[in-house]
This record gives sequence, C-alpha cells and structure tokens, in this order.
Amino acid sequence: MIGIWEILQEHFIPFLNATGMTLKLTAVSLVLAMAIGLAVAFLKLSRHGALNWVAHVYIAVIRGTPLIVQLMFLYFGITTIVVLSSFWAGSLALAIHAGAYVAEIFRGAIQSIDKGQMEAARSLGVSHWKAMRLVILPQAFRRAVPPLGNQFIIGLKDSSLVAYLGVAELYGAALSAQAENFMPFETYMVAGLYYLVLVLIFTVLVQRLESRLDKANSGGKRDTRTRIA
Amino acid sequence: MIRVRGLHKYFGPLHVLKGIDLEVEQSEVVVLIGPSGSGKSTLLRCLNFLELAQEGTIALLGRSVDPRKDDLDKVREHVGMVFQHFNLFPHMTALENIAMAPIHVKGRSKGEARTAARELLRRVGLADKEGAYPAQLSGGQQQRVAIARALAMNPDVMLFDEVTSALDPELVGEVLQVMKDLAKSGMTMVVVTHEMGFAREVADRAVMMDDGRIIEEAPPERLFSDPSHERTQRFLSQVL
Ligand SMILES: Nc1ncnc2c1ncn2[C@@H]1O[C@H](COP(=O)(O)OP(=O)(O)O)[C@@H](O)[C@H]1O
Ligand SMILES: [Mg+2]
Repeated sequence: MIGIWEILQEHFIPFLNATGMTLKLTAVSLVLAMAIGLAVAFLKLSRHGALNWVAHVYIAVIRGTPLIVQLMFLYFGITTIVVLSSFWAGSLALAIHAGAYVAEIFRGAIQSIDKGQMEAARSLGVSHWKAMRLVILPQAFRRAVPPLGNQFIIGLKDSSLVAYLGVAELYGAALSAQAENFMPFETYMVAGLYYLVLVLIFTVLVQRLESRLDKANSGGKRDTRTRIA
Repeated sequence: MIRVRGLHKYFGPLHVLKGIDLEVEQSEVVVLIGPSGSGKSTLLRCLNFLELAQEGTIALLGRSVDPRKDDLDKVREHVGMVFQHFNLFPHMTALENIAMAPIHVKGRSKGEARTAARELLRRVGLADKEGAYPAQLSGGQQQRVAIARALAMNPDVMLFDEVTSALDPELVGEVLQVMKDLAKSGMTMVVVTHEMGFAREVADRAVMMDDGRIIEEAPPERLFSDPSHERTQRFLSQVL
C-alpha cells in the first residue's frame, strides 16, 4: 500500500492535467451527444417512414456493437474523410455513441408529456414546432435530467477508451505511467480513484440541479391547502 | 358564426360523428348534452380542427374552412377552447400561461401581453395569483386561469368541454360563475356539460347528441321539461 502514496505523489500533477483532458472530452462529447440525441429523438418520433428508419438503424447499431469497436471504426472513418486531431475525432466518436442513448432519453421524456399540453398550445393557435419549443421541450428536459445525469457519468467513464486513439486523458496517463514505473496495480488504482472522485462530484451536481428544477417547476413549496376533498 | 354541414368523423373503422348539422349564431350559448361516448368531445374538437372530419364542411365567421388549404393555426386563433383537465403549462406562472400565445402567436410585446393578462386575471377573480404556478392553485383556480388563457387570444367563439367535471363539487360554482359572466358579455359559446342548472340559466339552446347524431335541439327549459325523444327522456332522468 505504500506504493499507492508514492504513485499519488509522483503523478499528482500529471494526472490532474490528464483529468482536465478527460473533463474536456466528456464535456465536448456530451454537448455534441445532446445535439445528436435531440435530432435523432425527433427522427424517431416523426411519422416519416424513411427518417424513422434512419433513427432505428442508428440506435440499433450503436446498442448492438462494443464501444471500442465503434471508436476505432469511427476514428479511422472520420480521419480518412477529414483531418481532425485525435481529441476531436475521439470526442466526435464518443458523441455518436452517447447520442443514441441520449436520443432514447429525449424520446421517452417528450413522449411522457401529457398529450393535453400540445393540444392546449395548438388550440391557442401556436404552431407545432413553437409548441414543441415553448411547451413540450422545457418540460421534457426537466424530466430528462436524472437519466441524462446517469448517461453523463457513463460518458465520463467511457471517455477512458479514447486513450487508444492517443489522447492523453486520465486512463492514457495511467497507461504510460505504469509502463515507466512498473507498478501497474498501484497506478491503475490511483487512476480509478480519480474517476471515482469525478463521478461523485458529478452525482452531487446533478442532484443539486434536479432539486433546483423541482422547485422551479412547482414554484417553490406546494400549496396543498386548497385541495381539501 | 359557426355552420356545420353533414359532418362525418371516423376513427379507423369507428364511425363517431354520423352527419352533424349545427348552427351557432353570434353571442349564442349552446349546450351540448348526451351520454358518454356520443361524440360531444369529438364534435368540439372538430370545430377547432384538433380533429379533422372526413366528410362535411365547417364554416366559421361565414367562411368555409378547408383544412388542406387554410392555415389552421390562424383559424384556431379565433376559436378558444377550455379542457376538462385544464392543461395549463406547469412550468409557467398563471400570468405566463395567459401571455404566452399573444406574445408568440400575435407578436405582442411582453409588456403589452402582461398588462392584458393581468386584466384577464382580474376578470376571472385571480388578480392576486399572477405569480402562482399551476401546482400552487386549486382546480377551480386552474380552470379559471385556463379560461383567461383562451380569452387572451380574443377568440370569436369559446368551446368548453366538461370543464367542471374534474373539479371537487365546492369548486364548480366559481368556474360556472366565470362562464356566466362571459355569456352575459356576449361571447359565443359551445358548452359540453352535465350542469343542467347552468344550461337552464345561461343557454339559449340545448342540443342532445346520441350515438354520433344530434337527435333534438330546443331551448333548455323546453328540452328538459318536455323532451320529444325517448332517448332524451332517459338521459335526462339519469342526470337531472
Ligand atoms: N382519438 C380517438 N381514437 C379513437 N377513438 C376515439 C378517439 N377519440 C374518441 N374516440 C371514440 O369516439 C367516441 C366518441 O367519443 P367522444 O367524442 O369523446 O364522446 P363524448 O365526449 O360524448 O363522451 C367514443 O367511442 C370514443 O371511444
Ligand atoms: Mg367528452
């Protein structure tokens, strides 16, 4: 166990820098995944057969193949089409992966909003897309926060695989560190600790956001006084 | 104001409206009564084109509406609707619920729309609730906000679909009062309701529907006291 302290001290700063890269990867890929996810959710909800089919195939392929295979395939696919740094290629690949799961989250959240909401908006002369933007999506986003938070945590951990594309993020830093110090057990343990702390911080942030949205949605305390049966 | 001719509506194989003819004059209050499943809601929803009928015509304000050619959003601006379950937007305050459509559909400025919304809240007796979210309001208050929200678009006709059915009994009166005031102010109204007292007091005409057809219509006192159809008699004996 002495070794762990050694490793912690020796690699504290380099691992911290690598953590910055991990956070950057996670943030960029998840923002992109949200955009992809929202678009695909609409494709899946659309009544247009071909659009629907595209969304189904995309989601089926992403769910049905290992992430590392997707990453490699997309990395080599993307970089033969356009010249991209491994960071951007990795982010994009992670986003395309997470996008499928985010799409399902958004689709579920949109469908969970009562049909009466859309009808009430339409009855006022509001167009379908305006009603979507002003009435349905704000409610759906709130409902999507817990599963999105969960997906973000998965995305944070999944970003470790991008080390194989040569991005110097946390797991990549551990890979090269243990090759030099010959202490793989301790080194990976320390890397694991870094991930654990990140995930715990993330979890608390998501919980905070959830309770803030809860309050905003009911306008603070619920007034039950007036519903005496 | 409204002129319906030969309206047929099918949900798949289900024939729900079987040739409806109906006319509603300016400032007239018409109540639609009839057993559950007779097509009252469907008829109302056809009147603002939330449902599209397969056959027949609907004319509003003297103009026949063609759902394939006309801008239905524009048509709906003229027809307000209030629902059984309020359908207020839970993420908006009472004031925001009312001001939303005037701002985003009619292009009113925020200030203008909010001033008008405040006036409407006052009219439905909720001047002190503008900052309240729907979850903080009682059912009766929510329904009054919903009425104000529909009125904010200055509709020419208001449709009410069993708007007091989901309310606790002691909250029904406050909503009916708002509707009575509205009727007095000259609003054209089509009201689906089981509140026969309200119908008797406010309605110019009661229309009895059964199995997708209008089987009779008359001034409410006459329809209620001397129905000519056996089906109407039976229905009235159940609700009166
Ligand atoms: N969206 C729908 N899809 C299929 N059937 C429907 C739909 N809406 C209503 N119906 C059917 O149409 C009939 C009339 O319903 P409705 O107009 O709601 O009657 P009412 O309001 O008089 O109770 C019922 O048999 C109902 O089940
Ligand atoms: Mg009904």
